[in-house]
Amino acid sequence: MATSSGTTSVAIPGQLLGPASKFQPGPGTHIHNANLYSSLLGVVHASQPAKPPGPAKRLTKITVPTQTPAELPTLSVSRTGVSEKREVLPEVGNTVLCRVTRITPRQAVVAILICGDTVLEAEWQGLIRVQDVRATEKDKVKIYESFRPGDIVRAEVISLGDQANFYLSTARNELGVILATSEAGNNMYPVNWKEYMDPETGLSELRKVAKPY
Amino acid sequence: MATETERLYVLPGDAIDEPLVPRHKKQPLRLGPGLRHIPPSAIVPTVAGQLVVEPRKNSMWMEYNGGRYVPAQNDLVIGQVQRSAAELYLVNLAAHTASATLPQLAFEGATKKTRPQLAQGALVYARVVLANRHMDAELECVSAATGKAEGLGPLTGGMAFDVSLGLARRLLMARSRDEGGVEVLELLGAEGLAFETAVGRNGRVWVGSDSPKTIVLVGRALRETDEGRLDVEQQRKLVKRLVREMR
Repeated sequence: MATSSGTTSVAIPGQLLGPASKFQPGPGTHIHNANLYSSLLGVVHASQPAKPPGPAKRLTKITVPTQTPAELPTLSVSRTGVSEKREVLPEVGNTVLCRVTRITPRQAVVAILICGDTVLEAEWQGLIRVQDVRATEKDKVKIYESFRPGDIVRAEVISLGDQANFYLSTARNELGVILATSEAGNNMYPVNWKEYMDPETGLSELRKVAKPY
Repeated sequence: MATETERLYVLPGDAIDEPLVPRHKKQPLRLGPGLRHIPPSAIVPTVAGQLVVEPRKNSMWMEYNGGRYVPAQNDLVIGQVQRSAAELYLVNLAAHTASATLPQLAFEGATKKTRPQLAQGALVYARVVLANRHMDAELECVSAATGKAEGLGPLTGGMAFDVSLGLARRLLMARSRDEGGVEVLELLGAEGLAFETAVGRNGRVWVGSDSPKTIVLVGRALRETDEGRLDVEQQRKLVKRLVREMR
């Protein structure tokens, strides 16, 4: 199904693209039984392989180039109507910005909004477990004193997790709550690593504060 | 203690006049339940009830009755065990509300090998450890500081009666006769009845005794005090009447 770069064809998920012996898999494709199948609904792109270097010519000697594996063209499928930037998926090690949606004594459920610099199209759900909130004294962490629903948190992805959630961690100084609203409804300013203060009422609330850059 | 001059009944959102707000030279003003401070200087009631002012401690709060019980930290409550999940008991504090959690190790002398055996429907007398509007309440049956039960724990035998939140609060006051206007339990004890009680802030009173007649009598006395809104004199007459009927 691969075409030259002039024309394009549309693939549906599960559509056979070609044998793995002829093509390399790229983003949006997967290999099954030595065949390349599309994973997404979108346009198929084929990248031209790099030309293997020809035999080196020297004045006195002609040497055969060492056997390089033949470069196969790479097939990729990208969603139509979506610019490449928005297809970013959080990977392990990425720093993400998320909003806390629910807290329970053992974890905080968050909605991942921004991955790196790109705003995500869909909101992915993430979990910050109580042992991943801090690096020290992990058994004494109280979720109610670290996060509240509505806070914006900078976290790092530690695992792609299961079907429902990514697993995130705030166990570094520069990770944690970056934007918090007080019980009275005002924006709060950080005072130290564990307190935010409301300037209007003067009351402070406990959070796991991220160190500002 | 609120005097007659400070007895004022307000509705939610009513403005409170400036002269009513107590002033103290050194202590800051303390607001109790039912009042809300809107900066810079507005104090607004959020419930319908009686405004009580205490000039000596420079505090003011609302006395109100009825409504749903909202768990608050350090409250003593009577809960009913709904079911047990991993290392936890799910305890029901009030009807149609989320369950509170009670760790199975939060009992006196409980270790991983020896846990309390609480069946579904058992009553426990517990203290609220964590209560806020974002999470389910958490309870404990042991004092965290001393490690001793101090009266908390499972309530065996007896029966729990539902009372209004206002009566439960007055029963729990230290000087319930002077400040709360309830003396019915003391009067019943003075008549020679042998029973023990546990009062939960969530509107439940547990009565335990060897004789079921006593339990029923105490329950009736509480219910009639609550529904009839009896004062101390009327409670005295009620107790005499009930004891006479029993004998």
